[in-house]
Amino acid sequence: MTPGDTAAPPLLELRGINKSFGPVHVLRDVDFTVRAGEVTALVGDNGAGKSTLVKCIGGIYSTDNGETHIDGQKVNIHGPRDAAHNGIEIVYQDLALCDNLDIVQNMFLGREKRSGLILDEPAMEELAAKTLAGLSVRTVKSVRQLVSSLSGGQRQTVAIAKAVLWNSRLVILDEPTAALGVAQTAQVLELVRRLADNGLAVVLISHNMNDVFAVSDRIAALYLGRMAAQVRATDVTHAQVVELITAGRSGSLGLQPEEAL
Amino acid sequence: MRAGPSQEEIRRQNLGALLRLVHMRGQISRAELTSELGLNRSTIGALTSDLTATGLVSEEAPRETGRAGRPSLVVRASSEQVYVYAANIGVDRITAARVGLGGVILDRRESTRPSGDVVPPLRSFIQSMESKVDTDARCFGAGISVCGLVRREDGMVRLGPHLGWLDQPVGIALQEELPDLLPSVVVGNVADLSALAEHTRGAGVDCSNIIYVYSDVGIGAGIIAGGRRVTGHGGYGGEVGHMVVHPNGRPCGCGSRGCWETEVGEEALLRLSGRTGQSGREAVLAVVDAAVRGDAEAQAAVRHVGDWLGFGVANLVNIFNPELVIFGGTLRDVYLAAAAQVRSRLNHNALAACREHVRLRTPQLGDDAPLLGAAELAFEQLLADPLG
Repeated sequence: MTPGDTAAPPLLELRGINKSFGPVHVLRDVDFTVRAGEVTALVGDNGAGKSTLVKCIGGIYSTDNGETHIDGQKVNIHGPRDAAHNGIEIVYQDLALCDNLDIVQNMFLGREKRSGLILDEPAMEELAAKTLAGLSVRTVKSVRQLVSSLSGGQRQTVAIAKAVLWNSRLVILDEPTAALGVAQTAQVLELVRRLADNGLAVVLISHNMNDVFAVSDRIAALYLGRMAAQVRATDVTHAQVVELITAGRSGSLGLQPEEAL
Repeated sequence: MRAGPSQEEIRRQNLGALLRLVHMRGQISRAELTSELGLNRSTIGALTSDLTATGLVSEEAPRETGRAGRPSLVVRASSEQVYVYAANIGVDRITAARVGLGGVILDRRESTRPSGDVVPPLRSFIQSMESKVDTDARCFGAGISVCGLVRREDGMVRLGPHLGWLDQPVGIALQEELPDLLPSVVVGNVADLSALAEHTRGAGVDCSNIIYVYSDVGIGAGIIAGGRRVTGHGGYGGEVGHMVVHPNGRPCGCGSRGCWETEVGEEALLRLSGRTGQSGREAVLAVVDAAVRGDAEAQAAVRHVGDWLGFGVANLVNIFNPELVIFGGTLRDVYLAAAAQVRSRLNHNALAACREHVRLRTPQLGDDAPLLGAAELAFEQLLADPLG
């Protein structure tokens, strides 16, 4: 699949999403489109609504109104299970891995495979190894290593592999390179790119403009709860994206003055 | 009027095409071969048994395919038995490897580059690897990747600016050292060979227009246009490091002024970050690391280099309209740390039609690309005429 292939309906399309927490109107008429085979970067200042939007997609929060379409079909997502059922997986910043368990146990946590009454360890081990190999991950020595013995980059890799394992179609990554060193950041970025090149839809939340430009095909900028613009990474400059984040517009792009209140 | 190809020529052609597919995939089922090559099923069977008889490939029953019907036999490259030697001569290090058919690195040796002749250490690397090889295995030659200008017809290294080489017949010299083992030794430019490797089995498998920009100390590019390597009349093409981007810029080692290399090369990054006198990959990574950690001088240096990297890539994108630009060598790390500058400059300077589908990527084969590319070159003769 080539990026920018607009013939097929987008994998995920949100239309007019609103979300309030009591008196605070966090998301205002947000439209958001994610395509398979592409990395869509979701950028915005602190408090712009990135995390809330992601939690709405993942079924953690319900939306007040608006529509969610997957493959052009309207769907209702009422909880994380609905999201997982639709192939949506989220990797949170804290990774949600258990230090006292090994890689296989973590990847299958709560969704273990069984054969009869007992756990099917060989099948899980093989699937975990296959998933890591499919992502060209060479840094992990054994899938029976405890997660506590892994480096930051390796943990991120395991968390991403865990999300990919479930035949997921959309993987959302919240700040995957925060708190990593240079070499590990490079590895994680290459992994993110490979996910999309393998045909998955990827949403990348990041504050680092180099990370955003290094891997993404499209950039969606949120500004005070509104979608300022969703642009192709081949059409914008660093300065324009920074303006979209900080002012909600940049020249003809983004929110026009009367709406950006 | 020329007569059509003889039956023998067609057979040689088909054998080559089949072996090339097995070599590219490592293993492939007979059914896939039939559909990929568009040949008759029984022809594929006959060709495969010819190749099996010579020991180039082996056939075996596949593992569970999960599909209905009798599973098709899997043809596998005999990597352990059919191999070449590959070497990469970098500015700081020399690497040698034994590479099996199918592009599998079976064994490798590495050391710092000696100041003198590189042929004796290469010979001892090869001899030490050869001593561990099964007696029924066959060597089909060697390929060497060099950061310099290589004459296509005989592999003479005309100029290796950062190696201090002038007219070095390194391929012939190595072949003369090991005449019984190596039937031939071919030589290529490191960027060209890296591009070839990524095109054959890396990031550029599905692309036919690729530019691989490689940086060791200098900058060079491997260019693949329309699926073919572009190396020019004598084989010296792709020296993008010496396109002039800044007429009033700094003097370059080549005698010109303001070459791209003087703005984006290792020396420029180190000078701008106040590390004059240091050199090598570690030093480049240290600058990138410092920039990410917030060192203002290093950040300014990385931004400057990223900006100029974007200028050069914009020129290349306008000229070649590639679908894929790969940043290899130390440029991989520089690109990832300065992607915002590179992209912005490219988007600003390149023509919209030329840049709209271009993907910027890092290599999938990493530091193995020059070795795998050199091996591709060495396998070329075997693939052209498998039974020859």
